[in-house]
Amino acid sequence: MSGVVGALVEAWQELRINKVRILLALFGVALSVAALASVVGLGDLAREGYKVQAERSQGRTATVALSVNGPTTPDPVRLEKAYQGIVERYGISYWTHTAQAQARFQFPGGVQDVQMTLVDPGYGFIHRTDVTQGSWFAADDEQRLAPAVVVSEAFYNAAGRPDLVRKPLAKLAGDQETTAVIIGVVPDLFPQAPPSAFMLNGAAQTAGIAEGYGQFKVWVQDGQAAVLMPAMQADLQAQFPDLYIDASRMDYAAYGDPIAIAQLAVGAIAGLVLLLGAVGMLNISMVTIRYRVREIGIRRSFGATSGRIFVGVMMESLVATSVAGIAGVMVAIAVVKNPWIQEKVAPALSEYPPFPVEAAMLGFGAAVLVGALAGAIPALVAVRIKVIDAIRF
Amino acid sequence: METLLSLRGVTRTVVLPDDQELHILRGVDLEIASGDHTAIVGRSGCGKSTLLNLLGLLDVPSSGELDFLGTPVQKISSNQRARLRGSTVGFVFQQFNLLQGRSALDNVMTPLLYASGRDFWRRRELAMEMLDRVGLAARADAKPNMMSGGEQQRIAIARALVRRPRLILADEPTGALDVETGQTVMALLDSIATESAAALVTITHDHNVAALARSRYRLDAGVLQALEGVPA
Repeated sequence: MSGVVGALVEAWQELRINKVRILLALFGVALSVAALASVVGLGDLAREGYKVQAERSQGRTATVALSVNGPTTPDPVRLEKAYQGIVERYGISYWTHTAQAQARFQFPGGVQDVQMTLVDPGYGFIHRTDVTQGSWFAADDEQRLAPAVVVSEAFYNAAGRPDLVRKPLAKLAGDQETTAVIIGVVPDLFPQAPPSAFMLNGAAQTAGIAEGYGQFKVWVQDGQAAVLMPAMQADLQAQFPDLYIDASRMDYAAYGDPIAIAQLAVGAIAGLVLLLGAVGMLNISMVTIRYRVREIGIRRSFGATSGRIFVGVMMESLVATSVAGIAGVMVAIAVVKNPWIQEKVAPALSEYPPFPVEAAMLGFGAAVLVGALAGAIPALVAVRIKVIDAIRF
Repeated sequence: METLLSLRGVTRTVVLPDDQELHILRGVDLEIASGDHTAIVGRSGCGKSTLLNLLGLLDVPSSGELDFLGTPVQKISSNQRARLRGSTVGFVFQQFNLLQGRSALDNVMTPLLYASGRDFWRRRELAMEMLDRVGLAARADAKPNMMSGGEQQRIAIARALVRRPRLILADEPTGALDVETGQTVMALLDSIATESAAALVTITHDHNVAALARSRYRLDAGVLQALEGVPA
């Protein structure tokens, strides 16, 4: 016990006395750790932002699109029944048909063409649709006499930003005059986007906007996709033996993590920066040991064993780099959690994830590793110093 | 009196870069018991410091027998020697060898960092007592570069004695001091050694310092001889 405490006391004294030298060495280590932890943290943030962006347009991991094609067009009613059978048999929680259509809406400023996405309620979950005001579609919204629409921010602005609590109406211009109720607002996909809106498939058909149901997509757990896809394909094939059945993943992770390589490359650069920091630290430690030869000799003459000298020098390095590691991780947290940086790195996110624990652990672990490396070599040199020569040094 | 050190036919030889052997000590016989005050005089380069290193367990003989408290030092490991050295030997160096940048108190506490049990945990209190004993309690926070040579040597004496060693080895303790300060330092060293019944071995080339010892030896070309008229 007293040996460990004694080694810590020695290390602390050495740090206190040589604080300028050590601070200079540690500055490099702290910066390197900050770079490494920031890269991992920002990489995670960028990945999360990219994931949300990609999942909004392509669907959550894993979104599977089913289609039945072939020489003849399948009977829509029979096809829809087959899809619903799939939903029931495979316990699918979220599914949607999606189709695109154009509709003309009457705005205070005049009539405008609006890009319509025709969906089922499950689309909101599958495509991570964030509703900033009002709500997304419920299952019974299809029964409304006036079809419900969820509109984009641009649409909402063009409509004069009415109060959703008062169930504002939007008039569809055309041969068949229809009045829709705005029930929710979603953010624009990109700045200056034209007005767009979502409508339920059933309501769109009633309003005469579209015919048929479009593409059919289901969401399954990521780990189950590989098993369920061939099963659903075979199931549909049995029902439509003469047609070509396709079940394919639509989400961004279908072919692996697309930003892993970029993150690995940046991580490797950060690792090199850390290595440079370690070499700097080692260099300073080696020079310092030369200046400490006499001191080590004096300590040996008062009973310090070679093991104690080794632990003392090693501990000094470890204590110092651990402190630098903590400082570096704190800098990385400040960088990654900076609102301006978060907004630039992951504009798609409305809520940012916490600083990743693995980035903090990696940064701190790297600092300790650097400390062990930069401490072990000088410690070995220190142990080999001959006491008699050292005292006379 | 208990025998602390016993040297019988001790030699120390080093091999030079041209493969020739240099015999620094030749057949040294010496016995040191508790409470002894021994002086070893000799010219520069006669092997005084080499003998001191052997007495202080910093080195081992090339041949002959060296027993420390009955233990043959050639047969124990360097770590065992280090522990034995730490608990029983106190060094006072010519150039003081204080740790720069550390206060007088830190310097005196240094040997206690290698102690165990109560001595380790009470190191501050013990170091302060020893500083008080050498009359420098008021300078506990001063650093070596703020002290006179005499003060620095008194700090070095306090550091050497703080673990209550049974053997005090002083290598030219007055070599870096003026005559008056040297006499004061030697008187202090002698009185503390006498009080604690520790053996004091002084290596010096100053006959006035050697004259304070009760037994005196001359080391000449590696051969140790008792000085005439002085009981060895």
